[in-house]
Amino acid sequence: MKPAAFEYVRAASLAEALAALDHDDAKVIAGGQSLVPMMNFRLAQPARLVDINAIPDLNRIEDAGTHVVIGALVRHAQAMCSDLLAARFPVVAEAMAHVAHLAIRNRGSIGGSLAHADPSAEWPLVVALLDGEIVVAGPDGERTAAAEDFFVAPLVTDLAEDEIVVAVRLPVPPAGCGMAFDEMSRRAGDFAIVSAGALVRVEDGVFAQVRLALGGVGDGPVRARAFEDALVGKPATPQAIAGCLDFAVEDLEPESDLHASAEYRLHLVGVLSGRVLERALARASGSAS
Amino acid sequence: MTERAFPSASGLAETRPKYVGKPVQRLEDPRLLTGAGRYAADIRLDRMVHAAFARSDQAHARIVSIDTDAARELPGVIGVFMAQDFPDLPAIIAPSRMRDYRATACAPLARDKVRYVGEPLAVVVATDRYIAEDALALIAVEWEPLDVAADPETALAGDAPLLHEELGTNLLFERVFETGEPDAAMRDAPLRVSGRFRMHRKSPLAMEPRCYVAEPDRARDALTLYGSTQVPGIIRDALTGLLGLPGSRIRVVAPDVGGGFGGKGSLYPEEIMVCVLARRLGRPVKWTSDRLEDLTSTSQGFDEIIDAELGFDTDGNLLALTGTVVGDVGAYSIYPWTAALEPVQVVSFLPGPYRIPHYRGAVRGVATPKPPTGPYRGVGRPAAVFVIERLIDMAAAKLGIDPADMRRANLVRAGEFPHRIGSGLVWDRSGFIECLDAACETVGYNELRTTQAEARAAGRWFGIGIASYAELTGIGSRISVAPGMPINTGTETASVRIDSTGAVTAVFAVASHGQSLETTLAQIVAEELGVRPQDVRIVHGDSAATSHGTGTYASRSAVLGGGAAILTARTLRDKVKRVASHLLEAGVEDIETGDGHVFVRGTDHGVSFAELAHAVYSDMKALPADKREILEAMETFDPVTGTTASATHIAAVEIDPGTLSVRIHRYVVAEDCGRLINPLVVDGQVHGGVAQGIGAALLEELRFDEAGQLLTASLADYTVPSAVEVPSMEVTHVETELPGNPGGFRGMGEGGAIGAPAAIANAISDALAPLGIEVSELPVTPERLFRLVQAVLGKGGRT
Ligand SMILES: Cc1cc2nc3c(=O)[nH]c(=O)nc-3n(C[C@H](O)[C@H](O)[C@H](O)COP(=O)(O)OP(=O)(O)OC[C@H]3O[C@@H](n4cnc5c(N)ncnc54)[C@H](O)[C@@H]3O)c2cc1C
Repeated sequence: MKPAAFEYVRAASLAEALAALDHDDAKVIAGGQSLVPMMNFRLAQPARLVDINAIPDLNRIEDAGTHVVIGALVRHAQAMCSDLLAARFPVVAEAMAHVAHLAIRNRGSIGGSLAHADPSAEWPLVVALLDGEIVVAGPDGERTAAAEDFFVAPLVTDLAEDEIVVAVRLPVPPAGCGMAFDEMSRRAGDFAIVSAGALVRVEDGVFAQVRLALGGVGDGPVRARAFEDALVGKPATPQAIAGCLDFAVEDLEPESDLHASAEYRLHLVGVLSGRVLERALARASGSAS
Repeated sequence: MTERAFPSASGLAETRPKYVGKPVQRLEDPRLLTGAGRYAADIRLDRMVHAAFARSDQAHARIVSIDTDAARELPGVIGVFMAQDFPDLPAIIAPSRMRDYRATACAPLARDKVRYVGEPLAVVVATDRYIAEDALALIAVEWEPLDVAADPETALAGDAPLLHEELGTNLLFERVFETGEPDAAMRDAPLRVSGRFRMHRKSPLAMEPRCYVAEPDRARDALTLYGSTQVPGIIRDALTGLLGLPGSRIRVVAPDVGGGFGGKGSLYPEEIMVCVLARRLGRPVKWTSDRLEDLTSTSQGFDEIIDAELGFDTDGNLLALTGTVVGDVGAYSIYPWTAALEPVQVVSFLPGPYRIPHYRGAVRGVATPKPPTGPYRGVGRPAAVFVIERLIDMAAAKLGIDPADMRRANLVRAGEFPHRIGSGLVWDRSGFIECLDAACETVGYNELRTTQAEARAAGRWFGIGIASYAELTGIGSRISVAPGMPINTGTETASVRIDSTGAVTAVFAVASHGQSLETTLAQIVAEELGVRPQDVRIVHGDSAATSHGTGTYASRSAVLGGGAAILTARTLRDKVKRVASHLLEAGVEDIETGDGHVFVRGTDHGVSFAELAHAVYSDMKALPADKREILEAMETFDPVTGTTASATHIAAVEIDPGTLSVRIHRYVVAEDCGRLINPLVVDGQVHGGVAQGIGAALLEELRFDEAGQLLTASLADYTVPSAVEVPSMEVTHVETELPGNPGGFRGMGEGGAIGAPAAIANAISDALAPLGIEVSELPVTPERLFRLVQAVLGKGGRT
């Protein structure tokens, strides 16, 4: 379990990193918490590693008024402890508590998590839930991608080999939204079997806005659009949530794996969706309860 | 205690025992916790080179060719070796006197064919491990795949592909134990419960993977092997045969060892190969297992299918028990324990601590194309206890009797020892009922049942599970640890000496790998000799230090090592007293020792151990020649049959009806290991054992596909409990006396792992009793629970 030999480049700037990526077999390394295990198993054998950890400014969390910008090198632990994120998106800290263990959260980065694109990972789900945009830098400049366009398949994104995730922009939702996250995993810190995140806003006793994002059941994070549409306009009650849950599983075709069958995953979608929506509802200001 | 130069007569007698039974801090901790420990992987020797093994990716295949040319050409590669390079190296064969046993021949590097994924095929030696692994990638193997019967019952069928053609069958052994008339008694029993139970394969998974460093000595034509092993004596003895060297020229040292759990208790191909390569190359060779290799090539545990039935009457008296076990033992019969060790133990212990007049246990061990199984903490008993304890609960439910009462009525009682159970094992006096009562009291059994009733009324899935068991520990010379194994594991010899500086060194053949033996044995020697534990250096895990000895396994070291320590220290104390009597001019019977001093009882007239040693060894004027004694003693202890240890575990669990995750809400253990040497150490052993039992109950399973490929090949998929999954435990001790045994110690290294799977399985079954669900397969993962619940509640279930 030793990696194959590789060349190592530590980039001091984004421009240097992009230049170093102009190579037939180079890979970015951020926290190394997903890439290094794959290299040790020799599942990944990049000829060159481009270390982006020394690039200044990629590790900031910035308030840009209508949205918050999270630099690609922001670590899971840093996000978990951020007052700004706690104020705008309390669901982030709730989700980060489920990511691996302390040591891994100290190194693992949001950019790495998105680029790695594990369908059970928390960051991709949170970005999808919050309608975030992923900011990508490449040889021809910057572009942004919505979560639904960015995640293509398990461990596959629309990133080109010479592109780098530089940041994530999360639009601040209207005041009074309630959010919640929950997941089922074998053990604390394991990748989720199924995860669910919810965001709701209530006006005049009815659901004015509903978002439900699911992990572990598709190619990437899945937004349960049919469910969201069905619940909007309904009375803001747990009964209404329960009444719509069939929509949450409607188009899902999860895979069976070592830890869970497709049937169990679908069962969990119903259970966890109900729980996060009820919790989000209870947290939404102006909600009936 | 007041501090004085040495204790005066007042109080010394009253303060004994001074160390045994006390929570003495572990003497090994300062070293291990500050990174000053020295494990095999820490050993770096001059000119040392590194080995990496090319392993089979086929479960059953003939080797057509192995092309190593490209690997040999890689810069840094010193050599690539295959079986044909060592034509004289014998295969590993584990003999047994057991009838109907078939030994297998396991070549250290596969010849002709492979029998499991992970079997070593070739070995690369290079200047570093990275290069060695690069070279592995360049080795090309051409295979002729053979049919695979990965399932043990399929492997027993007449037309199954044969793993060892020369044996003509995949059945490696067969054995039946019978007492009374089980068939008639079962037929006539008014009530019966039965089930098919499954315990899945586990990995011992020590935190430190196996590592071996072999250092040749060309001058003496000798070899030292530093290895992470539990059994340096057994390895030394085996290597003398394999390498053709006398024992005086092979030294096997187990330095600090980071856990074993049985996985470091057998002889391994890699262990032999580093020795052979070191001699061939004339330089030290090191191999360290990585985690993938650990999961595929360290001996695995458990893996049985057990059909069992229990007959009883309407008053709850147990009448008859039958069990049929098929053990999936993997590709080879492991040395020295043989493949029979684990499965035979299941039927040996199936009757448990109960009075059951009629019994039949039948066991078959089947070779399958999977890694060999071997000893794993608890050996056979976790499965046996799981089955009998499930049956007891099922019977109690059928009768509407509380499970605690059902046990109380059938456990062997104080006046009934020694009690022979249906498999022939004899239980010696042990606190079976006392442990049950102590556990019930600690957990507050009646209140807990009330809590459960309330939880149930609120629709919660809350369950309580009990497991009572007995085990044979500290096995003496009359019984072999593994059936028919021609190796004596039943004696332990200690030698204790006081050197010319007055320092005490005690030498044992045990090999502590986490059991705290450097502390507990020092406590015992200190107690008997009259010094402080920190003044006693314990030497262990070094085959050169003793003439015979096996190591640490089977809950033996405190019983045998502790017994030998007492006998030896007493002999030495007598020598000390004789010398002191001359020096102090007092009668031997008036001499007392304590805190490193020897003095005349009732006075402060005395000498220190250092002064005494000086008088004996250095100051040739102090004693007449005929009064000089060599301050050294050696005694052997043999507990002959062994000691019975017992315990009751009680678990309270709650299942989330939506996600089906299981939370352990309370965990209580009441155990009888006789006299405690050190309660901290006993608690620690129980905690660790229970943690492993939780793994067996809820999490850990080595899964193979139909082609024999390991699916759970990393720690992301082979899930062991972490700190979060292990609850805090309440442990109480019942110290039943053990007459006729010098220390009164019973073994307790494995107990935690034995009781926990059954207690948790019973608790989960109890939680799901309103649905009529019984747990009969472990680990009971969320997926398995989902299927059980789904079968009852149908689609949708509960949220
Ligand atoms: C034991 C363990 C448990 C874990 N459990 C969880 C869990 O429960 N949930 C979870 O979400 N994660 C989990 N992880 C993964 C962890 O969160 C990783 O930190 C994360 O997936 C990757 O982040 P990283 O910064 O370490 O990326 P790296 O490992 O450095 O890189 C991962 C991949 O992303 C690419 N990459 C990294 N940064 C960029 C960038 N800025 N632009 C473009 N490409 C980039 C790399 O080239 C590589 O392909 C676990 C990891 C371990 C070891």
